[in-house]
Amino acid sequence: MMASVVARGNQASQSTVLQGVDPETCMIVFKNHWAQVVKILEKHDPLRSVGGGVSALGGLGVGGGGLGGLRFGPIPGDEASAVQNYVEHMLFLLMEEKCGQAGAMGPILEFVVMENVMERLFLWSLRREFTDDMKLEQLKMYEMLVGQARQPLLHHKPVLRPLMMLLSACSSDGPASSTAPAVEAELVLLLHQLCCVLAKDPSVLELFFHTSEDQGAANFLIFSLLIPFIHREGAVGQQARDALLLIMALSAENHVVAKHIAENTYFCPVLATGLSGLYSSLPTKLEVRSEEWHCLHREDWQQMPALVQFLNSLEFCNAVIQVAHPSIRDQLLGYIYNGFLVPVMAPALHKLTLEEVMTTTAYLDLFLRSVSEPALLQTFLSFILLHRHDNVHILDTLVSRINVPFQLGTVSLALFRTLIGLYCEDVMLQLILRYLIPCNHMMLSQRAVLRERDCYSVSAAKFLSLTPSCCSPDIIPPPLRQLDEVVWSKTVDDDDYKAMETEKDCPQVDNSGHSCVIGSEIYMDVSYLHYLYDARSGISKCIRACQVWSAPYDGETPPPEEYQPSTLEEVGRPRAATLSRKPPPQPHHPQKPRPDPQRDSPAAPNLLELEWDDSYDAGPAQPLPEPEVTQPIPVEPPKHIQELRKNAIMLIKGAYIEESDFQNDVMVYNLVAQKDASDPIELPKAAKTSSADKQTNSDVLSDSNSHQLGQANNRPISNGLTSRSHSAEDDESKSSLQTDSNLEGEELMAQYEELIRTLGVEAGSPMKADRECQRPISPMEEEEEEEVDFTSFCPETPEGDKIPSPYTAKPRSGSRIHGIPFTGPFVSVLLSRLENMLDNSLHVNLLLTGILAQLATYPQPILRSFLLNTTTVLQPSVRSLYQVLASVKNQIEQLAVTRRDFTELLTTAQHSLLARESSLWGQDCHSQESGDKGRTKQPVVQPKTILPANRTEVYGTVLFTEFLKELAAIAQEHTILSHLPMEE
Amino acid sequence: MVRCIISAGDLTVFVGVSLQQRSDGEEPSGQGEHRASPARPPFGKKQLPSIPKNTAPVTKPPSPASAAQSANGTHASYGPFYLEYSLLAEFTLVIKQKLPGIYVQPSYRSALMWFGVIFIRHGLYQDGVFKFTVYIPDNYPDGDCPRVVFDIPVFHPLVDPVSGELDVRRAFTKWRRNHNHIWQVLMYARTVFYKINTMEPLNPEAAVLYDKDVQLFKSKVVDSVKLCNSHLFDQPKIDDPYAISFSPWNPTIHEEAKERMFTHKRRPEDHHKGLQVTGLSWVKPGSTQPFSKEDSSLQT
Repeated sequence: MMASVVARGNQASQSTVLQGVDPETCMIVFKNHWAQVVKILEKHDPLRSVGGGVSALGGLGVGGGGLGGLRFGPIPGDEASAVQNYVEHMLFLLMEEKCGQAGAMGPILEFVVMENVMERLFLWSLRREFTDDMKLEQLKMYEMLVGQARQPLLHHKPVLRPLMMLLSACSSDGPASSTAPAVEAELVLLLHQLCCVLAKDPSVLELFFHTSEDQGAANFLIFSLLIPFIHREGAVGQQARDALLLIMALSAENHVVAKHIAENTYFCPVLATGLSGLYSSLPTKLEVRSEEWHCLHREDWQQMPALVQFLNSLEFCNAVIQVAHPSIRDQLLGYIYNGFLVPVMAPALHKLTLEEVMTTTAYLDLFLRSVSEPALLQTFLSFILLHRHDNVHILDTLVSRINVPFQLGTVSLALFRTLIGLYCEDVMLQLILRYLIPCNHMMLSQRAVLRERDCYSVSAAKFLSLTPSCCSPDIIPPPLRQLDEVVWSKTVDDDDYKAMETEKDCPQVDNSGHSCVIGSEIYMDVSYLHYLYDARSGISKCIRACQVWSAPYDGETPPPEEYQPSTLEEVGRPRAATLSRKPPPQPHHPQKPRPDPQRDSPAAPNLLELEWDDSYDAGPAQPLPEPEVTQPIPVEPPKHIQELRKNAIMLIKGAYIEESDFQNDVMVYNLVAQKDASDPIELPKAAKTSSADKQTNSDVLSDSNSHQLGQANNRPISNGLTSRSHSAEDDESKSSLQTDSNLEGEELMAQYEELIRTLGVEAGSPMKADRECQRPISPMEEEEEEEVDFTSFCPETPEGDKIPSPYTAKPRSGSRIHGIPFTGPFVSVLLSRLENMLDNSLHVNLLLTGILAQLATYPQPILRSFLLNTTTVLQPSVRSLYQVLASVKNQIEQLAVTRRDFTELLTTAQHSLLARESSLWGQDCHSQESGDKGRTKQPVVQPKTILPANRTEVYGTVLFTEFLKELAAIAQEHTILSHLPMEE
Repeated sequence: MVRCIISAGDLTVFVGVSLQQRSDGEEPSGQGEHRASPARPPFGKKQLPSIPKNTAPVTKPPSPASAAQSANGTHASYGPFYLEYSLLAEFTLVIKQKLPGIYVQPSYRSALMWFGVIFIRHGLYQDGVFKFTVYIPDNYPDGDCPRVVFDIPVFHPLVDPVSGELDVRRAFTKWRRNHNHIWQVLMYARTVFYKINTMEPLNPEAAVLYDKDVQLFKSKVVDSVKLCNSHLFDQPKIDDPYAISFSPWNPTIHEEAKERMFTHKRRPEDHHKGLQVTGLSWVKPGSTQPFSKEDSSLQT
């Protein structure tokens, strides 16, 4: 059979045999063979009298396969195999023939064309029973010809036509039919080969189109045949996708192809809805291996075939968007947005149980990390940043979840680490910068200082001065001599994290020791050198990346005056209305979805929807949000929120809460968190170490309340709301607040007003006062306080003048419209979690400090100065990173006083962490295929004793000290790098 | 390797940039050429500057808290880093200033010593090429002003005829951190050759001549310039890998280097492309709306 021919086809011997043979001889042999074949063919040809097979084709039609054979009786086996043998030889002769003079056809090819050889052979195979074997045989024949012929064959209709007929015969079987896998594989292989030919020689393309037009439908058959294989797993699917990509690349240059694909095929919808389909088969709940787990690593998803398949398809979309014609790209992006992200991802992100939500979040994070094409990333990002689900931006929901206890909070952190690592202006704008642009967070006098450089490392010194006395290098010499190399780097534990690249050119420490004694016996912390190195590479990378940004964000551009919250109401809106924007690209399709009007609302008014975030700033346990603040909203919340709400109410039984307080899941999460946070106070401390920790804590929020409640009680929760060793003043203000919560209505307002007055802040924001008292008062701040003209920060417009926008989801409760300094929910939630460092698990802390450190590498002066400039005077209501760190330091100092063995514990923790670090290095070297890390393998060091992971306060302390060094190093490097004149 | 010494390697690059920016035909081209920087030695070769007495870079009188910190040593151990970075910051400021005709390069061995050369393009000292060394006090920025010493004592009222030291202090009677910067000293060093001041001279002879007999002063200056230029190709006075040294034009060496200098301008961008670190932005300039760029979907 033909298969044997193909098997031998690649053998060099065959061609060498023919090489010496004179072309004329070949021709004679070919003709002879053909004559023999024709004899047999004609013997069985029912339409022999009619003449050529061309007209017969119509009659036979496609898929009329076996009819001929049946009608005229079976063809004897010996005749079939005789034909087979002749054809075999003929094909070799054809394949080996070279072009004639000046690109003319060789004589054999000419003969093939004249005699319509290929078509007659195809008809012959139809006449016999058109079985899978027969298809296979034909497919292989063409595959061989297309792949190995020495002259272009496809240009000739008598070759091309039967090929197209064969293909359409294969296609008419339809995807539903049970085509043998072997045939499919061969078909895809042939299609792939054809695509390769097309890619090399686009002139053939037209022929493909024309040929198919002959068949009635303007059909790009090769392409249509490939589509069913788009989402196929395994090698066949991969080959089909590769072939499609070739066509996509072709489309970029060929408008006909592009137009055809975009307008006449279902390519884009199939691709995008395929994502949805594949997504639906992903596990809705992930098996979480350990508490440390926070994102899907390669080794995680490689074990999940469904996820691998999804990622393959996503990768394919990515590739298509990369190479395809803009019209196809835009269409595909539109379908991905409207056919996958909005209808599938958005609801999945709002599922009922924490576990499901966590799983979706982890998927989203993985997808973001897998996508590389800017346009596709843009689609994902505009979904996250601008899409509203149940009137809440996805971004806001995601931010709020950082504060959720349980693994969801950790996974959310990991997602934000990914987002921040994109160096995307739009992301940074929505997350942080838009809150900083007005410069309301700092004193007016300070704006001029924004871009000043900290020549003498004052900020670095201030950060380092927060080093707790128990961690001072004198007490615990920072470098532990037992290790060859001491590298602190948080990126280490995330081996697939993009920032890893910076690691490879890390300097090697020589063996001379880890501390150098300079001058008169002062330890120089060698690990600090690594921090400086990392800071340098981090900052330079970030500076380079941000060169594509639209503005420097230096306090002048964009001008703060234009983005004052009060003016934004008037200026921002009409301006946004005139903006003609079209993210994401809409598909050119009838069911073009209405663009979300909300999307056009300007940035700042979103402030209004963020009242809930006040709870983030509540460091110490805040009993409950005040009913006054969160006005009932008329809109009926979505079902799942109602569901959550019910449960949350149950959770917080004992405390009276208006049902209307649950505006969205954000609120609910916070309430749950608060509830959890307040529990440890009432419950015996012993519960902290209980093994219940390890339980599958985040089971279900919607069922078994008692179960949930019980767990919440047992967990040492780190959610940004826990109370722990606060300063005296703090406790005072807290207790006063706690009584507040029992007060009602006017009495309460009176209290607030009193508070506000004492703080010298304009009235109008109860919540603000609230924040105010809970802010730990740091000595630095008092010392630096300047006289400020508060009136300058007050809005000109009285509240009554505000016209409610039809687009705002909620009625304004008036807490933040007045330009009250606010650095945004993201920053506050990060800082509030950071303040609870001592309660956070090691992993949460690594993520938190990692995110903050990465934020600190951004060169934009308004961000840099906010995070790193410790001398900038901020508005009293704004908490700075430095203040939060100072508060943590105080907690640590208190802890150190009360625990006698604290220093020893710290040393043990350091050893444990270093051992962990070195083992991760080890893993890293093994697991990562990129052995070019430039790192020598580290011996895995076993510490003498390992400190149990639940000593979060000890680990937190060690990490805190290291974080200070990291920040100081970043601050120092900024003083040099950020001020270097960029290349002009 | 060590990063605290970052200075050396990076600075070389910076100097390269500044040299190249200035060398567009202004100088007698290719007059001087840098010695190639030696390979970075392993950690420890280079000494950190000795620890200043008072390193805590606190602007205000230290608060009780930070005083306690200093006591427990936290500050002191980072002192060298602060000093190093302060000097680096100073150096980047110098780069930024683009002082005409002045090139400096910190020494390989100490960040507190900078080598420099100044080209005088017109005036009495025209064509003068004066090498000098800047000495920065180790308690910088809280000490005295940096000293500037010419390799060869230039005939000038403000230059000590024996030591070659320029009278810098008269311009910076008190060195004030945050207000005074090293680039100002360099600027001053340049100015003295264009605006001659004879008040309280270090070289009374020069001062008297300038006031009484300008012609003789001029001829003495010409002699001095000649003398300086005749020693241009001498070995650097201080043996240091980063000391500035001149050598006669040698096409085989310098042509290629010159070429590289001129192509350097284009290099950074190519460099960036290779690194694939690009940020993302769909923000229209002048807007603070995400995805406001008109062609945002067409971005590739």
